[in-house]
Amino acid sequence: MRVGIMSFAHLHAEGYVYNLRAIPGVEIIGLADDNPVRAAYFAQQFGLRQFESYEALLAEKPDAVIVCSENARHLPLVKLAAAAGAHVLCEKPLATTVADAQAMIDVCRAAGVQLMTAFPMRFSPPVMEVKKLVDSGQLGPVYGCNSANQGSLPRAHQAAGMPDLGRDWFVNKALAGGGVVTDHVVHLADLLRWILQSEVVEVFAETNQVFYGAEVEVETGGLVMLTFANGTFASIDCSWSKPPYYPTWGGLKMELVGENGLAVVDAFKQTITLYNEAAGRPRWLPWGSDANQGMVAEFLAAAHENRTPAITGFDGYQAAAIVAAAYQSAATGEPVAL
Amino acid sequence: MRVGIVGAGFMAQTHAAAWVKTPAEIAGIHSIDRESAKRLAGAYDTRTFESVAALLRDVDVLDICAPTHLHHEMTLQAAAAGKDVVCEKPLGRTLDQAREMIAACDKAGVKLLVGHVVRFFPQYALAKEAVDRGDVGKVGVVRLTRCSFQPRGTGGWFMDSEKSGGMMLDLMIHDFDYARWVAGEVESVFTRQVRSRHPDAPGDYALAILRHTNGAISNVEGGWAYPPPLFRTALEIAGDKGLIEHPAGSSDPLEVYVQASGSGERPSVAAPSSPTTESPYDLEIRHFYDVLTGAVTTPRVTAADGLVALKIAFAAIESAQTGKRVSLKEFA
Repeated sequence: MRVGIMSFAHLHAEGYVYNLRAIPGVEIIGLADDNPVRAAYFAQQFGLRQFESYEALLAEKPDAVIVCSENARHLPLVKLAAAAGAHVLCEKPLATTVADAQAMIDVCRAAGVQLMTAFPMRFSPPVMEVKKLVDSGQLGPVYGCNSANQGSLPRAHQAAGMPDLGRDWFVNKALAGGGVVTDHVVHLADLLRWILQSEVVEVFAETNQVFYGAEVEVETGGLVMLTFANGTFASIDCSWSKPPYYPTWGGLKMELVGENGLAVVDAFKQTITLYNEAAGRPRWLPWGSDANQGMVAEFLAAAHENRTPAITGFDGYQAAAIVAAAYQSAATGEPVAL
Repeated sequence: MRVGIVGAGFMAQTHAAAWVKTPAEIAGIHSIDRESAKRLAGAYDTRTFESVAALLRDVDVLDICAPTHLHHEMTLQAAAAGKDVVCEKPLGRTLDQAREMIAACDKAGVKLLVGHVVRFFPQYALAKEAVDRGDVGKVGVVRLTRCSFQPRGTGGWFMDSEKSGGMMLDLMIHDFDYARWVAGEVESVFTRQVRSRHPDAPGDYALAILRHTNGAISNVEGGWAYPPPLFRTALEIAGDKGLIEHPAGSSDPLEVYVQASGSGERPSVAAPSSPTTESPYDLEIRHFYDVLTGAVTTPRVTAADGLVALKIAFAAIESAQTGKRVSLKEFA
C-alpha cells in the first residue's frame, strides 16, 4: 500500500505518519504542501520525500492519500486525488460548506475511489464500549445526551521552537470556515448519529466570543442542541474554554441518559497526572489507546479492498450540514430544521 | 423568634434540624400528614397544630415546607397575620401566585425569603465568590448539572405536575437561579425535555441553553431519570481569564461501599451530601435567621430573585413545549 500525505496544515498529519508507519506493508511515498516552509520542516522531521507539488506527488500513483490541508482547501486536493485514482482519507471537518462536501462525494464516486472522513473518535475504545452498551439496549431508549468537546485555542498548535508553519488558520474564518462550531461540533455530532443510529432533524445554537474575543475573528464559545429523528436530544459544548494552563488540551465527554439510567464517557480520561517542577503546573499524560490508529487501519483496509469505509463521505456531509445549520441558528436565534 | 413549620417531610425535617441550631424556637408544626407532624414535633420537643391559621397565631415566622402549589395560599395567610415567611423554592406554582405573594408581603410589611439553597452550598458559594473577585475574568460558558432519581414526596406530589410544576420548575430552577447569579440576567432559553413530548415517559430529562444579556451562555442539565440512589451535580464556569471546574463526584470526601441489607427501599427525595460541620441547609436557615432579626440587611437570595428564577423556568417549559427559543421579555 503506497500512501501520500497532502498538506501538513492540520497538526493531525504528524500523528498519521506514526499511524501509517505502525501498519505493516504500508509505504509513505512522501508529502506535498503548498506551504514550502511546512513541507521542508516535516519532510526533514520525518525523513519523508518532499514533492514539489500535489500533482508531482500524485504522479507517483499512490494507492491512497490523506488530506490534511486547511478546512476550506479540502475540495481542490480531493479533486486532484480522485482524478489520480487515489483513495482519500480527508481530515475533519470534511468541508466548510455543504456544497463542497457534496462535490467531494460526487468526484470520488465518479472516479471510483473511496472517500473517508477522519472521525477517529468512532475508534476510541471507551466510545466503542458505550456504543455497545446502547446497542445492547441496557441503557434503554436514550432520552438525551449532555456532551462536550472542549479545547484550548487551537492557535496554540504552533509549538515553541518551530519555524512559522502557518498553522494559525484555525482561527481564520476564510480558511477554517468558522471557529468552535466548525472545529468541535462534528466529532460529537458524528458519534451521536452513529451511536443512536438516527439522523439529526433540528439544530439550535448559541455562540459567543468571550474567550480570546479581542484576538480572533471567529466564535470561541458555543452550545449546540441537536434533536434526532428518534426524539433523542443532545447538547454539545464546543467551546475553546480550556485555558492554555489547563492540564491537557481539552477532551470529549458524553453523558447519555436513558430510560434505564446513565452512562458517562470521558474519552480522554485515561491519564496519569504529572506534577513537574519545570512545567510549573500539573499535566495529564494520556495512556489510553490512540483512536487514530484504528481509523487509519480501517481506511487502508477499505482502500485495499476497494470497499466503502466504516465512515464515509456522507458522514462528513451530514456533519457539515449540522454545522451549517448551527451557524444559521446562531444568526437567526431560531432552531433550524434539517 | 418563634418559628412555625408547615410540612413534615424531607424538607421540613431538614429545616427543623437547621432551626434548632439557631437561637430561634421551633414553636410548632402543621402538616396534613398528622403522624409525620407528630413525629417531627416529638423530635424537637414542640407541638403540632391542626391548621396553618392556628399555627400562625402562635409564631413570628412561618416556614413553608409544603408542596409548591400550597405556597401561595399559606404565604397570603401569613402576610395577613403580619408574620414573616420563609418559603421553599420554587416561590410559587405560577408567576401570578409568586407576584401576589411578593405584593402581599410588601403590603403587610413582612419579610419573604425563598429557599434557593444552592446559593448556600459551599462549593457553589465559593465559585460565585471567585467569579465576583474576577478570578475567571468575564464569564463565557457555564455548565450546570443536577440529576437524580424520581422523588416521591408525601402522596407522590413531586410527580404531580399540577402540584410541583414538574422537573424543570422543581429541580432545574436551582441551576437557573445559580446561572443567573454567576453570569447575570437571562435573555432567552431554549430547551428540550422528555416529558414535554412524551408525558408518560418513565423518567424525565431536560437540557436547556440559556443566553445571558452580557453574552455568556449556559448549559443546564436536569433529570429525574437516574437509578436510585444516584444524585449527581456538576458545576463549571469558564471565563476569559480562568476556569472553575467541579465535576460530579469530584470532591466527595467519603465513599462507602457496603453490602446491602434490610429492605433496600429507596429514599423519598434525593439530596446531595458532602459532610461539612454546617450543612448548606444550616447555613441557609442561619442566614435567614440573621435576615429576620435584622442582623443582616440584604438577603443572599430575595423573593425577587425567586420570581426571576420562576420566569426562567416557565420560559424553559414553554420552549420545551413550543420548540422555540423563548425570550424572558415575554415574562416581564
